[in-house]
Amino acid sequence: MIEVVKKVAQPHIIVENLNLWYGEKQALKNISLQIPRNSVTALIGPSGCGKSTFIRCLNRMNDLVKNCRIEGKVLIENEDIYGADVDVVELRKKVGMVFQKPNPFPMSIYDNVAYGPRIHGVNKKDIDGVVESALRSAALFEETSDRLKSPALSLSGGQQQRLCIARTLAVKPEIILFDEPTSALDPISTARIEDLIMNLKKDYTIVIVTHNMQQAARISDYTGYFLMGELIEFGHTRQIFHSPKEKSTEDYITGRFG
Amino acid sequence: MARERYFQQLDLLKESVLSLGEMSELIFHDSMEAVIDLNVDLARKTLALESKVDKLEENIEISIFDLLALQQPMASDLRLVVSALKISADLRRIVGLSINIAKIPDKIEGGHIKPLIDTKKMSDIAAYMLENSLKAFLTQDAVLARAAAARDEEVDRLFYAVWVELIEMMAKDTSIISKATYLLFLIRYIERIADHCCNICESVVYLATAERIRLN
Repeated sequence: MIEVVKKVAQPHIIVENLNLWYGEKQALKNISLQIPRNSVTALIGPSGCGKSTFIRCLNRMNDLVKNCRIEGKVLIENEDIYGADVDVVELRKKVGMVFQKPNPFPMSIYDNVAYGPRIHGVNKKDIDGVVESALRSAALFEETSDRLKSPALSLSGGQQQRLCIARTLAVKPEIILFDEPTSALDPISTARIEDLIMNLKKDYTIVIVTHNMQQAARISDYTGYFLMGELIEFGHTRQIFHSPKEKSTEDYITGRFG
Repeated sequence: MARERYFQQLDLLKESVLSLGEMSELIFHDSMEAVIDLNVDLARKTLALESKVDKLEENIEISIFDLLALQQPMASDLRLVVSALKISADLRRIVGLSINIAKIPDKIEGGHIKPLIDTKKMSDIAAYMLENSLKAFLTQDAVLARAAAARDEEVDRLFYAVWVELIEMMAKDTSIISKATYLLFLIRYIERIADHCCNICESVVYLATAERIRLN
């Protein structure tokens, strides 16, 4: 039998009793889970179940939302990121995010990647190396090395998304959050991003929200299933897709509802 | 409910496996009756059913490959599809062994060398195992599957007892070697059919519980 995950050996992120309200509406209900270091954790669930809201809690993106109230703890490296003395800019440097739609800045490929290191005060002489390294890690350097000064918006959708990943990597995060990173991409670009995510877990802890169940099954080590703001089940991906413990999880992943 | 067509395909797959199971039961039953009574006509009718089984098994395989390629089943659906593939292969082997049994009456002239009492007992237990393994598949009943497989020990015991008896008979009277050898084949075929029933029971336990176990 495959064991159900309750505690993980090396949690990078520990979430305890997390509740979130948008005004009167409670969007997250008492979420507790541990996200293991150097692994890919996928969050699945029907639209509006709270999975995107949840990952946005991991780098305090919800701070920007009006009338949003949060209770509970999110510990990264045992530090509560909602503590009074936390520098949110530093937090978001540590916890990078890639969004559904590629959103490169309207500037050159090079400047997109260099933007973060520059504002974080990286030496000018070191920037070239940082940009190259980030583009290589995002599997984009070979395709762009001869046109780094070209506009980022001239790249294809898939390339733009890898550029956004390179931009995230350039500020040397520890954790990368992906919010449906391939939903706007064709299958080949999707496959490249999936390969990339699996390679990146050597150096980063990855949390990905996806509507694509096969994608979650293919690339993640752990999967969490959300429904109506609750975390219904969390476990090894193999267990979740092979023999989920909860009927609700089973019904969702087999398409019986949702 | 979404994915109506997909669920219909899963239901159809299950029904097809059960149809193959019913045909296997019939062919095994008639081949045993033919060999016990040395009824050549019944044996020939039984042999003629093999091509229908091949067609049904082929259709099951095609529908499984379609489901895997086009629908990507998950969780209990995936276990159903994988179990159906394995069970249909076991049923096809049971039919193959029964067809071997149905070929025996034509080879034996002038009656058996002994009454087939223990051999009949073996085949009754194997038939019980087959019937209950299929019931367990229908209802996804792991307890029933384990209970059905547990009877394999009785089949094995009878197999060795009849085996020893036939060897002793051949040692005493070499003129019966040809007929006795067919009976040795017969008990071997029945013993193998019971083993395939155990395999089916293992697939049912996997389907019902996601546990991989050996019952053989």
